[in-house]
Amino acid sequence: MKIDLTKLTIIEASKGLKNGDFTSVELTKAFLNKIKEKNEEVKAFITITEEMALKQAEKADKMIKIGEIYPLTGIPCAIKDNILIKNIKCTAGSKFLEDYIATYNATVIEKLEKMGVVFLGKTNLDEFAMGSSCENSAFFPTKNPRDLERVPGGSSGGSAAAVAADLCVYALGSDTGGSIRQPASFCGITGLKPTYGTVSRYGLIAYASSLDQIGPLTKNVDDAKIVFDAIKGSDPMDSTSINSDKENNLAKLKIGVPKEYFAKGLDGEVEKAIKEAIDIYKELGAEIIEISLPMSEYALACYYIIAPAEASANLARFDGLRYGKTIKDEEAEKIIDIYLKNRTEGFGKEVKKRIMLGTYTLSSGYYDAYYKRALKVRTLIRQDFEKAFEKVDAIIGPTSPCLPFKIGEKSDDPMSMYLADIYTVSVNLAGLPAISIPCGKSQSGLPIGMHLIGVPFQEEKLLSIASLFEKKYDNK
Amino acid sequence: MLFGIKQKSCFDYLLKSKEWYIFKHMISEEEIRKIAKLSYLEIKDEEIDEIREKFSSILEYVKKLQELDVSDITETANLSKNENVFRGDIAKEKDVEDLLKALSRKKDNYMQVKKILYNED
Repeated sequence: MKIDLTKLTIIEASKGLKNGDFTSVELTKAFLNKIKEKNEEVKAFITITEEMALKQAEKADKMIKIGEIYPLTGIPCAIKDNILIKNIKCTAGSKFLEDYIATYNATVIEKLEKMGVVFLGKTNLDEFAMGSSCENSAFFPTKNPRDLERVPGGSSGGSAAAVAADLCVYALGSDTGGSIRQPASFCGITGLKPTYGTVSRYGLIAYASSLDQIGPLTKNVDDAKIVFDAIKGSDPMDSTSINSDKENNLAKLKIGVPKEYFAKGLDGEVEKAIKEAIDIYKELGAEIIEISLPMSEYALACYYIIAPAEASANLARFDGLRYGKTIKDEEAEKIIDIYLKNRTEGFGKEVKKRIMLGTYTLSSGYYDAYYKRALKVRTLIRQDFEKAFEKVDAIIGPTSPCLPFKIGEKSDDPMSMYLADIYTVSVNLAGLPAISIPCGKSQSGLPIGMHLIGVPFQEEKLLSIASLFEKKYDNK
Repeated sequence: MLFGIKQKSCFDYLLKSKEWYIFKHMISEEEIRKIAKLSYLEIKDEEIDEIREKFSSILEYVKKLQELDVSDITETANLSKNENVFRGDIAKEKDVEDLLKALSRKKDNYMQVKKILYNED
């Protein structure tokens, strides 16, 4: 029987390419065919870059022939549509950028291109990465490949769905409050949010700059490590970017379980799966320590002041003059008409709400009560984690308090939607690395994700801890 | 649909266990209009009630932070090292054509805009 090329992990695909079992062009065509067949149903992609992909595959095959092989050479991937690829449309899921063609490559794209990676296309997201379900995309909602009536999570829902439906080997996403980990959890795949600063954001359309981070969505932990290694590193084009550590000592492994994470409100089936995962770590010889993160309950409120405040500043650049949505000449008399009309017509409801919320909390009279106070609470949240990491190597919990919900179920109720990120936002506020990996299924077969939070800049160790579980869990 | 109910209840608990689902203070129409103006956004009359309601529910929720005493706490505005990062002042070749193509209106390789000076009416 012929193997299904679209099911391969990065490691398997790379081995096949090296051995000459198949070429990158064959691998790429297998994915393009699968996308043609399944994207209509899943709606993971906004743009499919067939022509570019085939050219890149040909180039990769040449590289392989002369022995210039990196771990990602010739491997087809998908890119969230808020990361710029030169000469390719980049919409950020917004009408504002419906026809915008990127004029340069993001640093992560530049790095991958040098290794001979194949880009299959750009994936759907909540508009400007603001959302937890992919329903806020201005174009169409993406569906969860594990159950088409449900959301894939968000905002990197298109990337997660593409990986889960075998429409690419891996994908890149961005994570501001859980946007890589929560969709990874909902789609039953692996998603890594690296430490703030370890991956350059140059060429990522900014949402909240003190929180945004690019990271991989993959089929397993080993693949996540390969992609992270390929995209990490300091970059002169992003002044916040720095190099990560090599620390990776798993002797006397201690894992912390925050008591606040298992309060009422957590779905029973999710809770059960996480407790079973904790037992697996026990079996593996890890010491399980109960810890306390008393500030957890303030994280979401803190996030919903800081993220919109930064968004209101970042999205001020969308004026419709230099790029993006442009109204007709006769509709405007003064420059302010151009701003008003472009922004009003170009942005969706959720984006407008967050811009206004941020404008409000930053405005005179409210700045101290909201924004400044949130920055102080952010310090307390950081200190919570710093204290915890004096005792443990990693913190375990659920990625999301609930199972993937139905499309439309929460779209009218913003607060209930925001709650889906209750476990993930604190990690961004503290700048920590964290990973979501599958750890079980509900009775109805929906994926459940486990969230492991690590020490800043110790991604290697975090990935090793995740891998320990994954190997044991896969063999069960 | 046992499953759907269970899932809903998970969120209902979180929602109803907190006081913030009751709007203690509804933001005024005037305030919303002022913020919209600052944000360069237009709001239609029929949208105003929904915006007021959703805005108020979030503001009510974030008031939760008032519970904490933060008088002695320093702020964390960003997580990067407090060092300036410099690079040489060296001009690089950029593809100007591509940038020009994205402009909404141009004249002789300059961006053209509408009237900037006018009387506020």
